[in-house]
This record gives sequence, structure tokens and C-alpha cells, in this order.
Amino acid sequence: MTTAGGGVRELSYAEALREAMDIALASDPRVILMGEDIGVYGGAFQVTGDLVHRYGEDRVIDTPISELGGAGVAIGAAMTGLRPIYEFQFSDFATLAMEQIVNQAAKIRYMLGGAVSVPVVMRFPAGSGTGAAAQHSQSLEAWFGHVPGLKVVQPSTPADAKGLLLAALEDPDPVLIFEHKLLYKMKGPVPEGHYTVPIGKAAIRRPGRDLCIVAGAIMVHRALEAAEALSAEGIEAEVIDLRSIRPIDRDTILDAVRRTGRLICVYEGVKTLGIGAEISAMVAESDAFDFLDAPIIRLGGAEAPIPYNPELEKAAVPQVPDIVAAARALAGGRL
Amino acid sequence: MPVEVIMPKVDMDMTTGRILVWHVGEGERVSRGTPLFDIETDKAAMEVEAEAEGFLHHRVPEGAEVPIGQPVAWIYAEGEAVGPPPGAASATGAIPPAAASATGAIPPAAGRGGGGDGSGATAGAAPAAIGAPRAGPTETGAEGRPAGLRATPAARRLAREAGLDLATLQGSGPRGRIQGADVRARLETAMSPVPSPAAGFTPEAGGLSVTRRGAGRGRPVVLLHGFASDSLSWAPVEAHLGDRPILRIDLPAHGKSPLLAVRSFAELAALMRDTIDRLDLAEFDLVGHSLGGALALALADTRPRRIAALTLIAPAGLGPQIAGDVLRGICAATRPESLAPWLRMLVADERLISDGYVRQAMAGRACAQLRAAQAALAGILFPDGVQAFDLRAALDRVGMPTRIIWGRRDAVIPWRHALTAPGRVALHLFPELGHVPHLERPDAIAPLLRGGMS
Repeated sequence: MTTAGGGVRELSYAEALREAMDIALASDPRVILMGEDIGVYGGAFQVTGDLVHRYGEDRVIDTPISELGGAGVAIGAAMTGLRPIYEFQFSDFATLAMEQIVNQAAKIRYMLGGAVSVPVVMRFPAGSGTGAAAQHSQSLEAWFGHVPGLKVVQPSTPADAKGLLLAALEDPDPVLIFEHKLLYKMKGPVPEGHYTVPIGKAAIRRPGRDLCIVAGAIMVHRALEAAEALSAEGIEAEVIDLRSIRPIDRDTILDAVRRTGRLICVYEGVKTLGIGAEISAMVAESDAFDFLDAPIIRLGGAEAPIPYNPELEKAAVPQVPDIVAAARALAGGRL
Repeated sequence: MPVEVIMPKVDMDMTTGRILVWHVGEGERVSRGTPLFDIETDKAAMEVEAEAEGFLHHRVPEGAEVPIGQPVAWIYAEGEAVGPPPGAASATGAIPPAAASATGAIPPAAGRGGGGDGSGATAGAAPAAIGAPRAGPTETGAEGRPAGLRATPAARRLAREAGLDLATLQGSGPRGRIQGADVRARLETAMSPVPSPAAGFTPEAGGLSVTRRGAGRGRPVVLLHGFASDSLSWAPVEAHLGDRPILRIDLPAHGKSPLLAVRSFAELAALMRDTIDRLDLAEFDLVGHSLGGALALALADTRPRRIAALTLIAPAGLGPQIAGDVLRGICAATRPESLAPWLRMLVADERLISDGYVRQAMAGRACAQLRAAQAALAGILFPDGVQAFDLRAALDRVGMPTRIIWGRRDAVIPWRHALTAPGRVALHLFPELGHVPHLERPDAIAPLLRGGMS
């Protein structure tokens, strides 16, 4: 993390994102915000808040209800010298803009021989837990992690949300930020001023000797809660916060596997063909394989649309007791 | 799940073993170290101890010939339901997983860590494994992995690094999977300073492990092994010693004896004398090899009336020279590859030291504490690669019938040291043997021991 110094205060995740955009708007005239209802309304999750009143409608732009159109304009603006931050109301609506994100933004620099790059930042409120049902609750980050040319991050703390957004603005390529909706109100220490968190670098949130849990976004917090419970039983779980899906921090993960010999991947996206599959395969292909002392466990989302019913919605994604149970079985040599 | 008791491989070219006698009846309780049965091969008879605690079931009949690695009985935990023999399918000819371990592995029934009966092949000790002079370097399965063996990658790596054969382990994981903890437990057992309460071990006997064999009533034979070896090294010749009681003593920091530290040869000799005094033998024959030979000579000098006959095989103490690099190399080796060259220097015919033999020897030395204790002992007894004790005067003094056996291709201690012996000592010099004649040609050495002791 590079920082410009200053103090540290408690901010919510949404406030930290807003502060990052505030700093960017204030310091770089190329920066503009785009998205549906991000102006006077302040954004579907109140992330942009009052920024329209401070920077005006020329720089905080409400776009029509067309993700394809909005994303296309943002990408075009990035190609022609601006630094747009485009907000999706829900990450689910990325499906409407797949052409622009996957076929255009990800490939333009490559196809034009490096003559043009696309320094666009896209923000995606993601994940379940808000009772928003099947079309507003998905975790689609792995889809985009599959596309060379994109960078995909998944901050789990207010400080990382700010630092990764500012790092994304400095990046010459498209960076997609998946923000878990349940985290927006979470508070945490956030340094003042401008700083960046490196894209592609995981963080060890808790060290442990018995097993390691690799998680992202809200799952980091569930893993930490599980680790606390496990610690009372004498099981010390390491918790690694991925922070970045593409590029993924291979070294930190493999090192943890070498030290602990046991791995649990926890992610909210659908289990099959998800982030945990990639991490498991990465370990199996590496020299860390020789340190595995038990099968790898993936705890992922159910093979079903996210249900509306609140109890079923909870059951569809990994919860703290699921992580505790898996870790117990793993550390106890029962798997 | 019951623990299987399998026919151990105690001899390099052994393919089957015969159950001579069961010491434990069907359904009886056993604990770790309980002598279960005696086996006989064409070269040796050995006692096999229980490796687990519980109740013995499904014994194969006495007299049965059983392929190595095949179960001969099962040990059930307290309260565990006893059904038909597990893996009964193997009776139809299917080889159970453990049986496929043609790696020269000594299966778990063979005793504690690398030091148990039949398993702990240590340097210069070579339990029956190099007992067969014609067994070439063709031993199977350097890389052969027992079919169906379940082990985690971590367990495989740990075993590989320690030179331990996974087939000798029982897995504690699901479906018998060997996990890292199983390997670590074995390695820790191997370095445990407290000997297991094995059969024949008499804790009151000066703290050193004593193994008794043979039920006969003749004059007992006491066997003292050499440096970095253990009492198992006597297995090949024991078969030829008839029915007389045999007592094998493990030196401190060797075999099943604890890691006792000594400060001098005199202290070591006193410890040995103490052990033998407590055995309360009226009269016995004493045989010692290498360092054990020097100790035997020191004992003969201090207990002359109780020792009927003395046999010294390539004994230390008769001159200053000794191959310090071999001693250091053996103590320092942590991998089969680094141990092998030194083991080969112990014998005249290198083909006796197969890859499988080396791996087993390394497994017996997997414990870093044991290696360090032996290195410390070497530093005290053989500082700067010199024998720092001299027993030539003792050899001149002892009056009982004494013979010295030596291989003239000994690369560790010069055979010419034998020439310092007074005229009444019989010399048997074998031109084609090295430092461990009793292992290189047990068939040729045993008759001398028998002759000397009858």
C-alpha cells in the first residue's frame, strides 16, 4: 500500500469508495463518474452520494437505462483520454454489457497493437443477502476473471475498497471492481488522503498453522469469524483475502498451502467452474501439491439461482457454520 | 478398523516365512511390543512383536508358509466387532495392498520404529537383509509403489525425505489413508528416548535394552553389536546357534536402548558391565563385533570367571587406526543417497548393499536425535578418526578361550590389528570379507561361533 500519509479514521465501505472518487475527481480533471441514478439520487446503494453537487452533472453523469450503451460510452471515453468510472446498479446487469466489456474493452489494446489502451474502471455491486432474488444477487466475478485483458478485484475492507479503486484509476487497462452489497455499511479504518493497494496481491488476514482458508469479499469475514471459533477448539486457520481474482496472487496461496498442508476455498459464486476450482487446480499443478495432507475443499454457491426466501438465500451460499464444519473435518483428518 | 499383522520381510531374498509358533492365543489381548509369533526363514528365526494394542484374531495356523506382506492375523480394538477376516478376498489370490510392497519394506508388525525386530537395518547392522551373500543388487522395487497404498502428498513427501517406506506405516486417515501425522509419529517414535516395553527388555538391566531369544538350557550367549548398528544385526547368525539362550544388548543410542550419553570408553564399558551384572548370568559366552568387540574384551578383562569363551569379530581397541570418514559419513547421512556409499564400505562385495537395504537402513536412522547421539559417541570414542582406547593389554591378560574373526578386506578397521594378539588367541582371517563378516557370510561365521562356544 502506498500512502500519502495522514491519519486514519473509521469509514464505511461505501464512504471509503466515495472518498476515493472524491479524491480522484478533485485531483484529476480526466476523471468522470457515469451510471444509472448516480447523480441526484446518489446511486442505488448511495455510494456516489452528494458528489454530483460538488462536481456537477458534467462530471457525475446519470446515464440512461442501458448498460450496453453506458459501458460503451465509458469505454470510448477511456480510449479518448478520460478516466471514467462506470457504476452498474447490480453486477447482474453486466450481462447486458458483455459485448462492450469482453469483446471491446478487454481486447482493444491487444487488437490495436498497443496503440490504444482502455483505462476504464467499472464498479459492480455484487452478491446475495439483501433479499433481491435471483436476478440481483449473483456473484459473477469469476466470469470476468476468465477474460485476458481485464483486471478483476474484490475488496473486502473499506481501506482496500478505497486503495483498489485509486489503483484501478492508475491502471492503463480495464479494471472491474466487485463490491459486495453486504459490505457497503461495514466500517473500518481508512487512511486519509491518496494511497493505492496493489492489484494482484492477496492479504493474509490471520495467520494459522493448521489449514488455510482462501476467500474473497464477504467470505473473508465469514472465514475470519469461523477461524475465531476454530481457534477456541485449538485449530488455527490462516485466512487469506484474495483481493484480486485476475491477476491472482499465486505465491501467497501456494506459500500458505506449503505451510499448512490443508486448503479450503470459500467463495460465493457458483461452486462449479468457480474461483475455488481455479485455486485448487493451481495448487495441484504446483510444487505445493507435495505439501497437501488432505483433499482440498471448495465451499461455493449452490448450483441454483439465488432464492428469494431469506432462509433459502442464506443456505445457497457458504455461511460461518459451513466453514467451521469443513475446517474441523479437515484438521481432524476426517476428509 | 482392525490392524493387520503381516509377515515381515526379514531377509533380503525372503519371499515367504513360516509361522513357527504363536505366543498369543486367538482372541487374547495384546499390547504394543507383545511377542506375537516366531517366524522361520531359511536363514533366521525371529520373534515378531505386536505394533498395536487390542485383541488378536484370525491367526493363520502354525506351520503355515505365508508370503511376505500378507496378513497373518488382525488386532481388533477394544469393543470392535470381530467379523470375518478383513480383506478375506485376498485368500483367493488377490494380493492385499501391503503385500505388494516388494520394496524390501519391513511391515509394521516388525516392531518399534526403525529399531524393532526385523526392521531396523542400521549401518553395519544389516539385519538379515544382507545375510545372503548371493543376493545381488536386483532387489525389487526401488521405485515400486505398493498398489493401492493411500497416502497424502504430504505423507509421501515426508516419507521420501526421511527414506521411510510408506508400506511400513498404518494410515490413520479415512480408508486407511496415511497422513503426514502418521509419518511424523513414526519418525518421532524412532527418536523416542524411552524404549518401548518390548519383549525381553529388562528395564532394570542398567537401562540398556536386552532382547532374549531361545528357550534352551545351554550356556547363554551374549551378543554385543558394533557402532551405528543394533542387536538385529545378529539375526543371520543366530539361526545357526542352536537352541541356546541368546541375549542381545543394544548399545546406548542404538537400537532400542535409550539415548544415554557417555563421556568415555570406560564409562561405556561400565554401563555394559552393569547391564550384564544385572542379568545375573552364572556363566556365558560373549561375542562382540567392532566396538562391541572392544566392549566384550573389556568385560572379559573385568569379569573373567563368568565368561566361558570370547569371540571378537573385527574388534576395535587393538590399534589406533579406524576409518573416521565412514563413521562420520554414517552419522551425518540424512538421505539414502548419502548413506549408501558408506554402507558399501562396510562390505567387501558392494552388491550386498541394495537400494532397498539402504532405504531401510536410513529409515532406521531417520531420527535426528539418534544420529546426533551416535555422532557424539563417535566423537568421544574416536576423536579425530583415531581409536582413543587401547585394549591390547587386556587381550594379553584374558585367559578364557578366545578367537578373533576378521575379513581381510575390512575398510573400517585394519585386519592387521589382529596380529597383535598373543599366540593362544585363534585367528580366523577371511580373505574375501569386509568389516561385517557375520553379515556377509553368516553361514561361514556361525560354525566358528558354535565351535567356540560348545
